[in-house]
Amino acid sequence: MSTVLTEIDPEVAEALRAAIGDAHVIADRAARFHRARVPAPFPVHRWAEHVPGIVVLPGTTAEVAAIVVIANRFGVPVVPRSGGTGLTDGAVPLRGGILLDLKRLDEIHEIDLENRTCRVGAGVNMLKLNEVLGKHGLIYPDDPASYPCSLVGGRIGTSGWSLIGSRYGHTRDLVLSFTHVLPSGQVIQVGDGGGAKLSKSSSGYSLKQLFMGHQGTLGVATEATLKLYDKPEAELSPFWAFESYEEAYRAVGLIVRANCATFAGAVIFDPEKVAYLRRDDEAYIPQPESVRALVCAALYGNEEEVEAGGRRLMRIARDHGGTYLGDEISQGDWAARHDRYATPLHGRTRAGQVVPMGWHCEDASINYTAVPAVRKEWHEIMARLCRASEIFDDWGIFAYTNGPTGADYLVEIDVGIWEQELDDEAWQLWVNAKREFSAVAIAHGGSISACHGSCREGEVDLVPTELGGVFDVMLTIKRALDPGNIMNPGKYLLDRAYEEVE
Amino acid sequence: MTAYRYADETTPPDPVQVSDVAIMRFEHIFEVDPKLMTDHLSQQEFPNWDTIRIVAARHSHLAWMHDHWTLKVLSAGELLDDITREDAGS
Ligand SMILES: Cc1cc2nc3c(=O)[nH]c(=O)nc-3n(C[C@H](O)[C@H](O)[C@H](O)COP(=O)(O)OP(=O)(O)OC[C@H]3O[C@@H](n4cnc5c(N)ncnc54)[C@H](O)[C@@H]3O)c2cc1C
Repeated sequence: MSTVLTEIDPEVAEALRAAIGDAHVIADRAARFHRARVPAPFPVHRWAEHVPGIVVLPGTTAEVAAIVVIANRFGVPVVPRSGGTGLTDGAVPLRGGILLDLKRLDEIHEIDLENRTCRVGAGVNMLKLNEVLGKHGLIYPDDPASYPCSLVGGRIGTSGWSLIGSRYGHTRDLVLSFTHVLPSGQVIQVGDGGGAKLSKSSSGYSLKQLFMGHQGTLGVATEATLKLYDKPEAELSPFWAFESYEEAYRAVGLIVRANCATFAGAVIFDPEKVAYLRRDDEAYIPQPESVRALVCAALYGNEEEVEAGGRRLMRIARDHGGTYLGDEISQGDWAARHDRYATPLHGRTRAGQVVPMGWHCEDASINYTAVPAVRKEWHEIMARLCRASEIFDDWGIFAYTNGPTGADYLVEIDVGIWEQELDDEAWQLWVNAKREFSAVAIAHGGSISACHGSCREGEVDLVPTELGGVFDVMLTIKRALDPGNIMNPGKYLLDRAYEEVE
Repeated sequence: MTAYRYADETTPPDPVQVSDVAIMRFEHIFEVDPKLMTDHLSQQEFPNWDTIRIVAARHSHLAWMHDHWTLKVLSAGELLDDITREDAGS
């Protein structure tokens, strides 16, 4: 199935209307173009290639299942879309077809105050959910930097990474179970064992993670039961400046390993990131040139424990070359990390002139000991890219703890891309660079992506290399569960599952 | 209430150069140096009140975010003062 269905057969449209009602089936151009767009830069001149044929907005699990059954009957692709904030183009249709917009599944069905869980529609946004939970003194701490805009279903579809995951876990830990529509249209409950509110079971295969992070290629989550925590009594988020990357790197290792139970995450910013911030971020513009690297830590919990942990971390940072940047920068910058849509969307030409640029990032999962080497090689790739074309701008690297032991980090390079100037040639330069970033991550024993997924041109080429035999198992599973290849076809090289049998 | 005077609002205070690439017209509000915005993007005309409003809105957004995530934001500056005092005393 490699034709692009940007036009939908009237018979399919009719069946969809009969299943979910006229009002929730939209075929106009604006609605379809709008839902082909994601935040990551892409060649604007090729936008039309990714437009769906029709948009549907189901309101229940039964309606989602009915749509999937219709898609199977007519052999039409279905692409789930939640907030559309994904950075690996997961929600972008590669073959047109039916765009399943899940925003209407936005009900909070239950808040269980005793068992500390809630059951919500997959179209619920975490910020909106937490406004309601806050009234009960509770919080759902899945905290991506897209927190105000991404939705629970998209978090499941990407198996997302959370800023405060070192304390509360990531999406895979926080989503206890969910209702899932398989590519056949069959509805199942996936979790730890049979009970919806359990966080540990040894009964049967553990399939929860299989149905997370698949980028919509194995079906659709429609409702989820989430683990809740007490809303933190206290937060502390110190930022420290260092005169060298090496000092900051040593200090962040010690901070993470300081054994504080309230520790929720730490970040190290490299000199290129600091240079970028000093150029364009109000908090850092006045910082002296001696500031070459930054570290920040975040702690959440009850006041006594946050305070005790904070004292310990302040001592470690001070004794290892860190200069505290002050409450205003520390508190303000941390609060801004929950919402990175505020990133300045401009970059510079080689002559220093300001140009409009989209933000893109490459993220990898890298062990602590390999972070400096990966950082160095990534900047070399960026330097070559910037020499080849000035539509690219190196916005620096940060590394963020994946967990409380500090064994591995989300390492991210931020890249400005002057999208209006992207043509096929420049796009190819970018795709080649992405392939090189991924190869470096794999060569250092890491993973191509810690949080966004790896579906885009360039990175996806190396997924079989990274996963080896596991990639073959992915093909077998995909073919078994989705024999018609209707769920988000073209992603993750999964078409290979069908080539083999032909 | 103060009267709105168009001329006042469209005449920003004189800039102070704060770095190679940034200027400051209002305290703690930094702007890209206009000489870097000549070739591909030009600076918009901004009434003074709007500049101040945008920065205030940003501050209230950040304060909202804190309240949203926690009941209390602790001061690391105070903790540092404490430990500095403790260490000096010991
Ligand atoms: C400024 C910014 C900051 C970001 N920071 C982070 C971060 O800190 N951590 C992080 O993890 N990510 C981050 N991201 C990436 C993105 O926000 C996440 O990947 C998020 O999980 C996507 O959620 P969404 O609701 O927007 O999903 P979408 O983009 O709509 O979809 C993502 C993928 O999931 C599939 N999908 C959507 N809904 C469902 C469903 N109900 N069932 C099955 N599959 C589904 C889609 O087909 C697609 O493949 C950031 C993005 C931006 C723009």
